[in-house]
Parts: sequence; structure tokens; C-alpha cells
Amino acid sequence: MDSPALPDRQPIIRARQVVKVYPAGGRPVQALKGVNLDVYAGEFVAIQGKSGAGKTTLVQILTGVDRLTGGEVWVDGAALHRFDENQLAFWRGRNVGVIFQSFYLMPTLSILDNVVLPIDLCGDYHPRRSRELALELLRQVGLEEHAYKLPSQISGGQQQRVAIARALANDPPLIIADEPTGRLDSVNAENIFQIFQSLVNGGKTVLMVTHDEGLASRASRRLILADGEIVADDFVPISVSEATNKTDD
Amino acid sequence: MVRPRVRKILADLWGNRMRSLLVIASITVGLFAIGVIATLHRVMTEDLRLGYAAANPPNIRIVAAPFDQGLVDHLKKVEGVRQAEGLRGFDARLESRPGEWIGIEFKAVPQDETRQIAQVRLVEGKWPPGDREVVIEQYKIADVNAQIGEWITIELPSGKRRPLKVVGVVSDQTVGAFASGPGFFLAPVQGYVNQETVEWLQQDLPYTYNMLYITVDGDSNDETRLWEVANRVRDEMEHAGGTVINIAVRGSYDHPNRRYLEALAIVLVLLGFLIVFLSGFLITNTMQAIIQQQIQQIGILKTLGSRRYQIILLYMGLILVFGAIAALTAAPLAYRVAFQRVVPLAKTINMAYRGPRFLPHVILLQVGMGLLVPQLAALAPILQGSRISVREALSGVRESQQGRRGWFDRMILRLRGFSRPTLISIRNTFRRKGRLLLTLTTLSLGGAIFIATFNVQVSMDRYVDMVSRYFLADVNLTLARPERVLEINQVLSDLPGVAYVEAWGTARSEMILPDGATGENVQLLAPPVDSRLVDPVMIEGRWVKSGDQNAIVLNERFMSDFPNLRVGDVLRLRLNGKETDWIIVGYFQLAGRSSGLLAYTSRESLLRVINQPDKAMTYRIVAEGKDLSKEEQEALGRAIEARMAARGIRVLDVTTGSYLSSSAAQGFAALTGFLLFLASLTALVGSIGLTGAMSLNVMERTREIGILRAIGATNRILLKLILTEGMLIGFLSWIIAVLAAFPISKLLSDSISQALFGNPSTLAYTPTGFLLWLGAVLILSALASILPARNAARLTIREVLAYE
Ligand SMILES: Nc1ncnc2c1ncn2[C@@H]1O[C@H](COP(=O)(O)OP(=O)(O)OP(=O)(O)O)[C@@H](O)[C@H]1O
Ligand SMILES: [Mg+2]
Repeated sequence: MDSPALPDRQPIIRARQVVKVYPAGGRPVQALKGVNLDVYAGEFVAIQGKSGAGKTTLVQILTGVDRLTGGEVWVDGAALHRFDENQLAFWRGRNVGVIFQSFYLMPTLSILDNVVLPIDLCGDYHPRRSRELALELLRQVGLEEHAYKLPSQISGGQQQRVAIARALANDPPLIIADEPTGRLDSVNAENIFQIFQSLVNGGKTVLMVTHDEGLASRASRRLILADGEIVADDFVPISVSEATNKTDD
Repeated sequence: MVRPRVRKILADLWGNRMRSLLVIASITVGLFAIGVIATLHRVMTEDLRLGYAAANPPNIRIVAAPFDQGLVDHLKKVEGVRQAEGLRGFDARLESRPGEWIGIEFKAVPQDETRQIAQVRLVEGKWPPGDREVVIEQYKIADVNAQIGEWITIELPSGKRRPLKVVGVVSDQTVGAFASGPGFFLAPVQGYVNQETVEWLQQDLPYTYNMLYITVDGDSNDETRLWEVANRVRDEMEHAGGTVINIAVRGSYDHPNRRYLEALAIVLVLLGFLIVFLSGFLITNTMQAIIQQQIQQIGILKTLGSRRYQIILLYMGLILVFGAIAALTAAPLAYRVAFQRVVPLAKTINMAYRGPRFLPHVILLQVGMGLLVPQLAALAPILQGSRISVREALSGVRESQQGRRGWFDRMILRLRGFSRPTLISIRNTFRRKGRLLLTLTTLSLGGAIFIATFNVQVSMDRYVDMVSRYFLADVNLTLARPERVLEINQVLSDLPGVAYVEAWGTARSEMILPDGATGENVQLLAPPVDSRLVDPVMIEGRWVKSGDQNAIVLNERFMSDFPNLRVGDVLRLRLNGKETDWIIVGYFQLAGRSSGLLAYTSRESLLRVINQPDKAMTYRIVAEGKDLSKEEQEALGRAIEARMAARGIRVLDVTTGSYLSSSAAQGFAALTGFLLFLASLTALVGSIGLTGAMSLNVMERTREIGILRAIGATNRILLKLILTEGMLIGFLSWIIAVLAAFPISKLLSDSISQALFGNPSTLAYTPTGFLLWLGAVLILSALASILPARNAARLTIREVLAYE
């Protein structure tokens, strides 16, 4: 089903007839069966669905972590389906902050270095300024005092906050997270959600896969995936959602 | 401020010290071995050549009837002659132990020692010797059995005895250079005295010379040219009334032991190549393991926007650091060990070792290889690792490695009758076949080289044994002049303990080249045609047999010096001033191509040619008992000597068979000892490789160990699991090593044999290497698996599951 687009605005994400097939050793699995999706700047989208529905697959396609089998995807004007791996990597590093269920921090780097790393890899790295920026981001997620510890020395919730700070390092307009609260307790999960909420308020677009009904209901838009297809989408034009958010606050 | 990505590399190095250490050790040990080999090769080839040339060796030696300085001065003007010096040489015996006499070769030097040719280097004491003093050459100083300041007793051919004071030890590069016997290793003790002492020792015409040393102008390495000059000098000498007895020539760089060194050098180069291969595999194996462990991190880096070239550069940087540390560690270590190892070897082959020195190109080789080989080895895994899709990388498994199962996997999956943990080990072993193959190749190659060096060593020992087949007599007796054979036989046979006596003819002859010119000296030995005291090793043709007319067999030196000479050809020799033709019936193998030109004929043929009545100077005596010890042979020698003295028969020399064969085999012994050293070197590379490969293997399992732990596996079960896997791999590699050891042994042994004798070897095998390596493999596999496994088992489950 198509998301109705507003005539006056370009979507930040535009997916058309996206198909993903895993070869899986002779018996191919069709994980996405022609997904169409438009997401507009400033939206906070929660993606839900049963296990195996294709949520992770969709997120991986939208972040360019995996290649699609068929269809087209534009993110912020970039035609991902035409990019090669290298172009995808560089584009992703500058334009999307990716967050995973298992935080994937570099185990041998300090918290601070973990946050600076994306700037070093594809941003405008400057020894002093980049550190200051990273410290500022760590302050935003409340981890400034842990900056010089190793990931193994802090809790899971804290590690996920580091991952968020890292995702923001190159100031991408779009944040995509796959079950960021999946391995966290409810207190930590709430904490993370609050951070996402404030990012949306600051003008970022956030896509978040979650199994948590309570959290999902507080997003500005909910998508439900089943068996590789979007089966429900409570899309409301952005102006209305902004108005809703304002009344909620 | 160091960039975070660089810091990641440094942190990886430090954060996983055990692994870093293994990788660095793997590279270091390879570079070390290569450094040692390159240093030895360079130093030995260089020092042997240059050390010999530095002594300003004679290019021509002419033995002649006594002549004076006037003739020498006259000969200096002959075209092509650069320097000419006369000297006086004579043989005597010295008492090494009470009643024990060994040969000594004297050279007289002028009082003021102004000699320029064949300069000696003072090792200890003083030079030149004063009146009634003697200086000894260092190589056989041990046989002299006297210290500086002590007196030795000399017995002259006349039977007179004289005391001489040992005042110094020198090194003389020209020992064995012109001996026509088995060369350097059979040369007797060398002594140097002054001309006053010569007179006191009652030599005839004390102030004349009987030998002429000449160096030539221009190219002093071209033998044809040397012979041209030599023949001109001969003509001039004879024209002036002199009598030339024989002539020998030798190039300025042609050290008497050049061939031995060539054999050593070949072993070094071959092993060097094998070790380079081995280290290559070792490093590739290690790099694959590292990249494998880093796959997930590569995925994260890519998610964060890292492009392929950045990842490639990052890991190449890491490897560069590994390589640099390894090169810096290996270079000084190799330097020390190599130069330590040269010293004893230099002594055994009479090399003028010029001391430890900085060899820039060896360092360059090590640094170059340290920086380059790991990069090459890691290139494939890095490229693969950087190409893997982000999704695959993040999940930590490569889809290309899943799913498809060949017949082998199905067979492994169908295995029955093992306990479940054992089954896990077996399946784990074969899970990543690429890696397993690489690990096995590394281990097997190391093992094969190790085993091969032992086999080659045994083959060398066989050569040593073989030499003794020419010295089957217990005692060799040389009289001062020919005596009637019947009489001597009678005297000896009456002696208790003597079972059998053979009279041998000996003669010194000169080759007559096809163009009529005189060639090198040939030592002729002539045992009776039915001699029981030679059991020859034939390379080609046959030995002399009864009914032969003027038949002759030649040693391996002829084969390399005169490759056109074949069995059935005629060899012309000048014997007692008469030219005679001999028919070559075969080639035999004795002490190698380093020895002089040596030929055997029958005593009967020799007597016919020199037209001598039935007299002989040399006798070979066999004792009644079998396999006499060295001491028993010496005792028999003393008894013979006493009996001869009692009968008033003058003896020139009494030597035991074991002394002769061990001297002749000295060169092989040097090679054998050296091979043992090289074997331990490869063993080192092999075992570090084994330890590294095993440990990395287990480290990759850390996560799995944690999971097994989480579902209740006890330490015992875990240990059994890991041990089974490690020893299974070790044992498999041993089987392959055993198979590969055969061709490698053959290759090494053939190359040595080719260098020493000019023909392929008959290879011998010994279980020693095979068994030693089996033990080493099993013990090292166990240790290399247990240590990291213990580490893994000590981690808490949480730590293990978080382990990257
Ligand atoms: N690498 C793969 N190879 C083969 N099939 C795969 C692979 N990854 C996912 N699948 C299949 O694709 C489908 C979608 O999987 P996906 O991981 O996107 O589900 P999900 O919605 O994220 O589930 P969960 O909530 O459990 O994370 C599933 O049927 C899954 O079995
Ligand atoms: Mg998922």
C-alpha cells in the first residue's frame, strides 16, 4: 500500500517495490515482497512486526548495510540502489546514524574514541574540535564522565547511549535503529526513547524497530510489517503530527 | 594527537597481547632463521675467498732439486711472474705422546721473515720462530699435544731426535693447497722453523731451497694461464741447470676447502628457500586468523562509513607494525647467533674469519621481508575481509561458508561411536577447511624439513663410514726407504697380534695433458691386486682386477676437473721421469672433490712400470682381533715401531687406520654438525609455527567455549575437546610431514652429494627425525591448545559472550 505523499514536500526516504531475497542455500527466502514507503523529515517512525517479519531486513536496506534484490530506494535524494558498497559506506557514514540491538562498540577503543571514530572515517576530522564535539555528544547522552573508559567497563544501557552518541557524530539528518532497546530493561529503554524523542524535536528523522508496544505508541507514526509486507501504517501528514506532538508535550 | 582509527590498531595490538605476541613470534622466527642463513652464507663465502686471497697464496708451486737464491732472482724476470720465493720443506715425525709418533711437515722461513707469499697469521705466541724453536699451524695443534713454551721431540728421517720449543701458533691458509692426497683434512701437522734450525736438524744443504712459490701478474685465476707461466718457469729453471720434480697451480681465491663450502652453501640456500616458504605459510595462516577474528569489527567500521581502502590501509598498517617489531627483534638475534656459529666452523674448514660485522644487505633482506611478506600473506585475507558485505560481517559468519556441504562434511556428520564432545572436536577440526589446509601445510612443511635434516645427517654419517672402507688396515707403516717385502712380511708376521700384512706401492706422478704439457700431481696408490684392505665405493666402471694391464681407477676429483675423461680412455702419467699410459677402468668415491687427484692401480702394474725389484716402503697391517679400538691400534703401532727399531729398519711413519679415516672424514663431520644446527633452526620455526597456529585456532573458539560453558560443560570436558582437536591436527600434520620428508631429504642430500662428489647420493633414512617430530608435534599441540583454552575457561560467561 502506498503512503500518500504531500505535494509540497520531498520525502527523506522513498522506497518503491523493494524486494529482498536471501539465497539461503538453494531454498531462497523472500524477506521483503515489494515494500513501498515514504518517510518525511522530522518524523519519528516505529516499525513493528512479529519475529521474522522482515524488520531487520528493511532497516538494512534503508541504511545501505545490505543490497536490495529488486526495487528502488532514495534516501535524502541519494539513489541507494545505484550505489556500490564503497559509495554506500561513505554516504552512510555522513548521512545516517545506525544503531543496533547489540551495540557493536569497538571493544579496544575508549568511549570517547568510539564516538570520534565516524568523524575520523568520513567526516571533517580535526584532532581538537572532533574531541570536543564528541564530548558534547556524550554530555547529551549523560556519559561525559565515562569518556575514557572502555565499553566493557560500562553497562548495557550506557553502551547503547554511546552508540547513539556515535551515530550522531557526523550530524546525520536520519537516525535508524534496529531494536535499540531490545537488550535493555524498561528504565534504560525509557531513557533511550527520551533521547530519540529529543532528537526528533531537534529536527532529526528517526526510524526505530521495536517490540515494545508502549514505546511504539508514543512515536509519531507506526508501521507494521508482516511476512515481508507493510500491513499497517498510521501515516498522518507531518503538520498534523507536529501539532499532535505539541499538544502531547 | 593520534587518530582514533590508528588508535584502534594500537589498542588491538595491546588489547590482545597474547595474539599479537604469537603473530610477531611467527614472523620473527622466520626472519631470524633467514637472517642466520643469509649471514652464514655471506660471511662464509666471502671470508673463505678473501681470507685465502689476503694471505697472498702462491699460484704456482714448483718442487725441485736444491737451488739457491740466485736462481730465484733470475726466475723473477720470467714473463708473467709477479713474485717468486724459494723455500725449504721437509717431513719428519713428532712425538705426540710417549712412544706415539705422528707426521709433521716443516717449512723453513728466513730469519727476518720477509716472505710475501703464503703469509701466515699469528694466533698466539710469537712469529717468526728463533733458533731451535717451532711454530705450529693451529688446525692440528691438538694432535701435537703441547702448549706454547713446552718442548716437543722431533725424529728426522735419519732416525735422529731433536728437541724443539713450541713458541707460537699461526693460521696458514695454504694448508692442503698443493697436497695431492686427500687435501686439507689429511694434511699432517704443519711446523715452521728458521734456517738455522734447519741446519741444526742436519738437513742436507741447509741454506738452499727445494720449493719455489710464484704469484703471477694479471689474472691469477685462469688455470691455463697459470700453466703457461709455470711451464715458462720450468723451462727457464731447467735451462739454468735446475731439476724440476713437480709443479702444481692454484687460483688466488681457490681456497683448498672451497668445495666443502660450496656444499654447505647449497644446503644453506636450499634451507633458506624452504624456510622462506615455511614462514610465508606461517604468516599467511596467522594473518587469516587475525582477519577472521576482525570480521565483525570490519562490519562495524563499514557501518560507520568506512570505505574499503580505509579498511585495507588500516589492517595493512597493523601488519606493518607487526612486521616492523618482528624485523627489529629478529635482526640483532640473527646477528648474534650467526656470528657465534661461524667461529667453530671457521676453525674446522681453516677459514680466515674476519670477525662479526654489519651486513647491510642481510639487514635489508630481513627488514624488507619483515615488511613485505606479511603484507603479501595478508593481502588475500584482507581483500576478502574488506569485500565481505556489512550484513555478513556484522553477523560474523560468511554465508559463502555456510550451507553447502561436500561429501567430506556429510561423512564427518555421519561419524558414529564417538562421545559427543569428541564429535564436536572432530567436526570443529574440519569446519574451516581452508584454514585447516593452511595450518596443516605450515606444520607439515616445518616437520618435513626437520625430519629431512636428520636423514641427510645420517647420509653424511654413511659417507664418513664409507671413507673408512679405504683404510681397513689397523696400522699403516711407512719405511724410510724401500725394503724387501719378504723380509718385512716375515718380521711383521712374527709379531704377536699381527694377522695379515700387505705391501703397498705408492708413487707421486704428474699428469701429461693431451698437448704434451705437464699437469697436476697425481697420487698413486698400488695395493696388491687381490688386496683385502680396500673396499671401494664405485661411481662408475669397476675396480682394478687381476689380469689388467696398466689399469687405473680415479677418484671423484678427476670427474670434476676433467669431465671429458671417461672410462676406457687413456691417462698419461709421468712416473720416475718416464711417461706411461694407463687405461681408466673406473671412478671411485672417497673424500670428495676437495681432495687432490688420487688414483689406485695394482702393485703389480706399478712395479712393472717403475721396474723395481720386490721392495716396498708402505705396509698395511691387520691385527688378529676384529674391530680394534683406536687405543689398541695405537698399541699395535708402538709394538711394530719397536720391532722395526730392534731390527735396525728405519721407520718414517706409523699411522693407525682410524686416525687416517677420521682425518679424511673431518670435512663431512663439519657438515654434519652444521646440519644439526640447521635442523634445530627449522625445528624452532616449525614449533613456533605450530604453537601459533594452534593457539589462534583455540582463540577463535573462545566464544564457543563460553557457550559450551553456559550449557554446563565442565573444565574437564572443555579441555578434552580442545586437546582432541589440537592433537588431531598435530597428528595429521605429522603424517603429511612424514610423506613430504622423503622428497625433501632426497633434494637436500642430492645437492650436498653433488657439491661434494659430483654425483647424486644414496640416501639413508633414520627414524630419529620422524620420532622426534612426532613427539614435538604432540607435546607442542597439547601445550599450544591448553594454554589459550585455560585462558578461555577462566573467563566468566559474560566476558566470553562479549568476546570479539
Ligand atoms: N541471512 C539470511 N539468510 C537467509 N534468510 C534470512 C537471513 N536473514 C533473515 N532471513 C529470513 O528473512 C526473514 C526476515 O528476517 P528479519 O531478520 O528481517 O526478521 P525480523 O523481522 O527482523 O525478525 P526479528 O524480530 O526476529 O529480528 C526471516 O524469514 C528470516 O528467516
Ligand atoms: Mg530483527
